[in-house]
Amino acid sequence: MKKNISGVIYFLIALLFVFTLARFGFFRMDQFMRGLANLFQFSRDAFPPDFGAFSTIGQALLETVEMAFAGTLLGFLISFPLAILGSRILFPSVVVAAARVIAGFLRTIPPLLWAVVFVIIVGLGPQAGTLSIALYTVGYLTKLYSELFEGTDPEVLEAVKGVGATKHHLVRYVVIPEGANAILSQLLFMFEYNIRASSILGFVGAGGIGFQIYVYLQTMEYQKLSAVLILILGIVLIMDYFGGFLRRRYLLAAGVTV
Amino acid sequence: MNIVMGASGSGKTTLLKVLGGFLPHQQGKIFIFGHEMAHGISAQLRARIGYIPQQLGLVRNLTVLENVLIGALSRCKGVGPYFGIFPKAEVELAKSLLEQLGIGHKSEAKVIRLSGGERQRVAIARTLMQKPSLVLADEFVSDLDLNTAAEILNLIRQIGQRDRVTFLMNMHELQLVKDLDGSIFIMKDGKITSQCSGRELDRCAFEEMIR
Repeated sequence: MKKNISGVIYFLIALLFVFTLARFGFFRMDQFMRGLANLFQFSRDAFPPDFGAFSTIGQALLETVEMAFAGTLLGFLISFPLAILGSRILFPSVVVAAARVIAGFLRTIPPLLWAVVFVIIVGLGPQAGTLSIALYTVGYLTKLYSELFEGTDPEVLEAVKGVGATKHHLVRYVVIPEGANAILSQLLFMFEYNIRASSILGFVGAGGIGFQIYVYLQTMEYQKLSAVLILILGIVLIMDYFGGFLRRRYLLAAGVTV
Repeated sequence: MNIVMGASGSGKTTLLKVLGGFLPHQQGKIFIFGHEMAHGISAQLRARIGYIPQQLGLVRNLTVLENVLIGALSRCKGVGPYFGIFPKAEVELAKSLLEQLGIGHKSEAKVIRLSGGERQRVAIARTLMQKPSLVLADEFVSDLDLNTAAEILNLIRQIGQRDRVTFLMNMHELQLVKDLDGSIFIMKDGKITSQCSGRELDRCAFEEMIR
């Protein structure tokens, strides 16, 4: 009986999947062929990449990385105390609920929308982008960190409580050191994510390479656009490597599987 | 030294947790050092009771010395400890305890890098750092081989006699308990059903079996 119900559920999921794809025209051959022709046309127009505007693109790329870096760290600094307030093991449920509602609200709004809000508040430029990245980071890291802190080994907490340690001592000597590896790992993940996210914030005037992408798309300068995309890919790969290096250096050394 | 023995689920861990103030008691009265534990445990009383849980409760990402210094937290006021700064006398005491327990050379190693026997020693050092009058230990040598466990218990016996510390330990290894000086309490369904010494343990266990 249980097997039959599982079978029906799998079948319904598969049916929904095929139906959704069909509704979006994925099975229409004429649309597929047209898309293929467009892809060839775009590839012809985009290659070879034009790195002629490298100084402008390079500067905008550097600004993108700076926005991601400053926004991630700013978000981290705010999310850390907020996550401690949002941990049931340390604070009463009213405080926990308040911290979680704030984090939930910040997380619900995507960075691009936050960027629109901050462009209105602080004006065009990387300041708006940095703030939008920071707020989104606060939303995400607060959730990840508060769940991490709640997962602290209760026996370790109990043992340290047993020596007469205060709540603040518990945070300093148990919660943070026990979660240190995951704290670093999630921070690196957020930084990598924010580099990708900050590369489109320029679409709404919030600084970074996004503005160049928008301009090249509007003026159909696809060779310059492909140069930008290649450089973004390069930056993302460098950051992935850098993140991997830090993980190996600090997490593997601590005996954590990454 | 006082040992509590009994089958799994007999209430040994619950007894220690209630005595340590980690669980509220449902009925009866508990007196520790002449004070009745009516509504939880005061901070002053808690500082006099050391507790070693079964998995030791060490902070794996901290060094051995830092773990031992945690035992001094209730005595160290001010912001120093938040920055890892402890009074010199406390650091000296921690180092001396580690030396006495034979792991002075590992004081800067992270706990995650230690063997099982070394971790037991760190847990004991942390508890002694509290300067407790009573230590509650929950089957904390159960994961060790018999030789290492006997060595650790011998150390505890010596320190307990020297510093006049009472140990109340949950254990289930008959072989280890037989050689210990002190009282053995047999627990069943949440109640102490008999009391004997190490030498009388066989008789005690036999009577329990008949009962």
